[in-house]
Amino acid sequence: MRIGLVTESGYPYVSGDAGLWCERLVRGLTQHEFDLYALSRTRQQEDEGWRPLPRHVGRVRTAPLWTAGEEDRAGYGRRARRRFAECYGELAAALTARNDADLGDPARPTGPDAEADRFGRALYGLAELARDEGGLAGALRSDTAVRALERACRAPGAQRAARQARVPDLLAVATRLERALRPLSLDWHEEDGLGAADLCHTTVGGTAALPGLLARHFCDVPLLVTEYGVPLRSHYLASRATGAAPAVRALLAAFHGALAAEVYQRAALVTHGNAHARRWQERCGADRARLRTVHPGMDAAPFTEVGEAPQAAAPDTLVWVGRVEPAKDLVSLLHAFARVHTARPGARLRIVGSASGPDGAAYLAHCKAVAAQLFPDEAAGPHTAGENPVSFEETGGPEAPTPADAYAAASVIVLSSVVEGFPLGLVEAMLCGRATVSTDVGAVVEVVGGTGLVVPPRNPQALAEACATLLGDPERRARLGAAARARALELFTVEQNTAAFHGLYLEIVARSPVRRVVLDRAGEPLPFAAPAEAHVAGRWTGPPAAATPRTARGGPAWAATSLTRSAGSEAAR
Amino acid sequence: MTAPEQRRQPLAPGLDLGPGLTPAPASGLGPVLDRAPSPAPAVPPAPGTASPRGGADPVKVLMRRHRDLCAHAVDPLEIAAGLEAHGVTDRTAARFRHRDVFSLAEEMYARVARDAEPVPYPRRADQPRAGIGPFLLAPLPGALCAAGLAGLRLTDGRARLAVAAAAVLAVALAVRAVLRRGPLATGRGRPPGDRAPGTRAWTCWLLGYAVLGDGLLDAAVGGGPDGLPDGTATGPWPLAAAPVLALALGCVPALCAAHLFAVRARRRLTTSRGLDEFAASARPLLLGLFALFLGALAALLAGCGAVLREPADQAQVLSLGALLLLARLLTVHGFPHVPAVALGTAALAEAAAQASVFAGRLPGCDALAVPVDTVVAAWGPGGVPALVCSAAALALLAHATHNLSRASAHAGTEPQP
Repeated sequence: MRIGLVTESGYPYVSGDAGLWCERLVRGLTQHEFDLYALSRTRQQEDEGWRPLPRHVGRVRTAPLWTAGEEDRAGYGRRARRRFAECYGELAAALTARNDADLGDPARPTGPDAEADRFGRALYGLAELARDEGGLAGALRSDTAVRALERACRAPGAQRAARQARVPDLLAVATRLERALRPLSLDWHEEDGLGAADLCHTTVGGTAALPGLLARHFCDVPLLVTEYGVPLRSHYLASRATGAAPAVRALLAAFHGALAAEVYQRAALVTHGNAHARRWQERCGADRARLRTVHPGMDAAPFTEVGEAPQAAAPDTLVWVGRVEPAKDLVSLLHAFARVHTARPGARLRIVGSASGPDGAAYLAHCKAVAAQLFPDEAAGPHTAGENPVSFEETGGPEAPTPADAYAAASVIVLSSVVEGFPLGLVEAMLCGRATVSTDVGAVVEVVGGTGLVVPPRNPQALAEACATLLGDPERRARLGAAARARALELFTVEQNTAAFHGLYLEIVARSPVRRVVLDRAGEPLPFAAPAEAHVAGRWTGPPAAATPRTARGGPAWAATSLTRSAGSEAAR
Repeated sequence: MTAPEQRRQPLAPGLDLGPGLTPAPASGLGPVLDRAPSPAPAVPPAPGTASPRGGADPVKVLMRRHRDLCAHAVDPLEIAAGLEAHGVTDRTAARFRHRDVFSLAEEMYARVARDAEPVPYPRRADQPRAGIGPFLLAPLPGALCAAGLAGLRLTDGRARLAVAAAAVLAVALAVRAVLRRGPLATGRGRPPGDRAPGTRAWTCWLLGYAVLGDGLLDAAVGGGPDGLPDGTATGPWPLAAAPVLALALGCVPALCAAHLFAVRARRRLTTSRGLDEFAASARPLLLGLFALFLGALAALLAGCGAVLREPADQAQVLSLGALLLLARLLTVHGFPHVPAVALGTAALAEAAAQASVFAGRLPGCDALAVPVDTVVAAWGPGGVPALVCSAAALALLAHATHNLSRASAHAGTEPQP
């Protein structure tokens, strides 16, 4: 199968957020051909270059999202301008319309659906305009756009926050919308791009899903959307941090909400990494029947040795591994350990991790001070030097060169966070076959299942009791550790992740095959152009032939860096 | 949704650690330390348990704790996102008798919306920061130009040629420095290379014509020129020094006008209620500043004429200055194409006027020179550039009053990552 993989600031860039799992996915599914479509977020990212690509990656096209668009704002003729004003007005009206209930609330049959239709129509209208006329970036910043926004905000029935929009707010909204809609100007969704793929897999949601959405709209390419984060939630948190005016935040939130709803509605399948992300997806209007959970995969190999040697653990040792930051609530852990230490004087706590950012550094210093005050140094006899039962170690330090070594020394591994997404550290601990005690935050319960103890967050006493219970019961510890390792190996490995996506690919293609009529030179339909073997799993034509340099056509100037390379040039390198 | 809860029971009996724990004897504990840098406590005690502050309405306590979040939220999902970032989970929400965080957030949103009027958003005009640098640089072209003219008068022969070349180079570099930063700079957040081609060449041509063109035209109408320009105002191809000095000095009022326009427009952007209101207030602002600039330029020109003892053609210099200022303003605010066309048309028209005079000397082509001859006879040689430039400037003025009074021309560009 030919899969168009759309990424945003991820694979194949070296410094991608989500680069690792995409790389494992591409390398794991050698039976498919991949075309990469990468959007980059920063100049630095572009400068740092790509990861080495495997042979079955056919072509890579990139487009920056960080450059400013074209300079001229008066590019359109009268007719195109009218068409643009119509589409943009529709978009603005869909954003400002009052939606007291939510976008995807099934209890409201008419309103949100009509709005979603309107939003989708406007979106595809703008994309068609960009395809026919180009120059969309300039138009999105033009006076026509700002006027359309103003009209929509002043219209009766606009939501309250939108009605308060002042002129600077309108300008800010127009600018941000232009940025968000930049993928509309790309020509990726055409016949020689995503349009030729059997399946479009978007590795993040949000605006990066736009190319896939357009390919779905124009060429009927089925769309698979994977969201390991929640783009809408990130948008809310980020927009709060910017401190923009309420009207700006309201309109942009409406845009991102409507976009998410549109993506979920059009996607053949939507995957998420944990139940928390799934709740958001359902909330934004995703159909439950089309939601699939694909847990993130971890490389189990580094932990195999430790996981199969549970007897290597030091007795009475609690270990915490992670990045030190306030959300990890190490103070609570120290207080809990104070109680454990009272009950079991030989107990030790190792905190392995380095601080992230200035906040983290300050927090680490604070934790060290707390530890020094809570625990005096202890010596084994009157003539030996004392040592603190709590030790702070750097990741990769001499005591624990790898995370696996840190986990290996633990009888019990503790997680004390108050905020947590998908706890990868906990998965590592489980792969090491260690019993865990964690707080009930984020996806912890989902990850741990029944293979570890879970306590409420911010409850040192409960944490202490759970730790003390496990420290005093080696048999139960061993049982929980073995169960944890079995669970992690079953659910959270790379192989499981890759196999899950492979299954999803097949499921989607089986349900929605692309029926493309191939035309011959004279424009007549070509019989048997797509033989039955084309649908057989695995490659049936052999590797693709030679590199065919190709330049982007029709796209805007800022997307002109797209390039094509095939497996041949990779082999030549 | 409820899968995590269901999975909680089996395998691990230690899981049921909840609020009902028996307190462990806390003897032998060290000093109780504060938990200062830990994130803001998000969850009040459960309603069932004894709570010093909870009262009968736990959601109210939660709202007070997240007052800022609730007051500024634009929809329930924003509150939900904020709550989750503070560690509130569905299990926490269950303590408030809600199915999940979303419905808890909805209640909070509804109660805030009912309780309070919307918080007025503090408006401040984010002024374009010019810094003092451009204003210090602004007199530099004028000063260098004056020095160059003095050098021309003091030297002779080959040295004069060298001085002229050096002066042109220095003034060009100074003008470039002035246009690089501050209110006359293009590309605030936009890529610098993407501008209409030819603007710079046409501008140089127009300025060159202001220096040498009148002399050439005058000589050509009289049958000359009889020699190359020698750098004086009295030679066979006289050189007009006052216009170029006035224009170089005019960088200062141009910079001030552009700065004032940007600042005032931004302020009006903040205060106006609608796009039409803004347009109505920006138009007189633009025209007023334009008139101020013309006045300043006229005064400078009169001064230069008096100092250099050289009669200067007011109309020609004013129209050229107006044309250049408007072109620059339009380019700065993101409309580079029309100014390029206007400058190009003006330059070509001037060149055509010169060429028509010379073409009129060809046998049988007398008629070609008639228009220019008429103009020169009526208004002198300065009439031609004055007519051309004022026509172009008027066209640009109309374009500018239309486009620069739009709010979209003043959209602040965000810094690029």
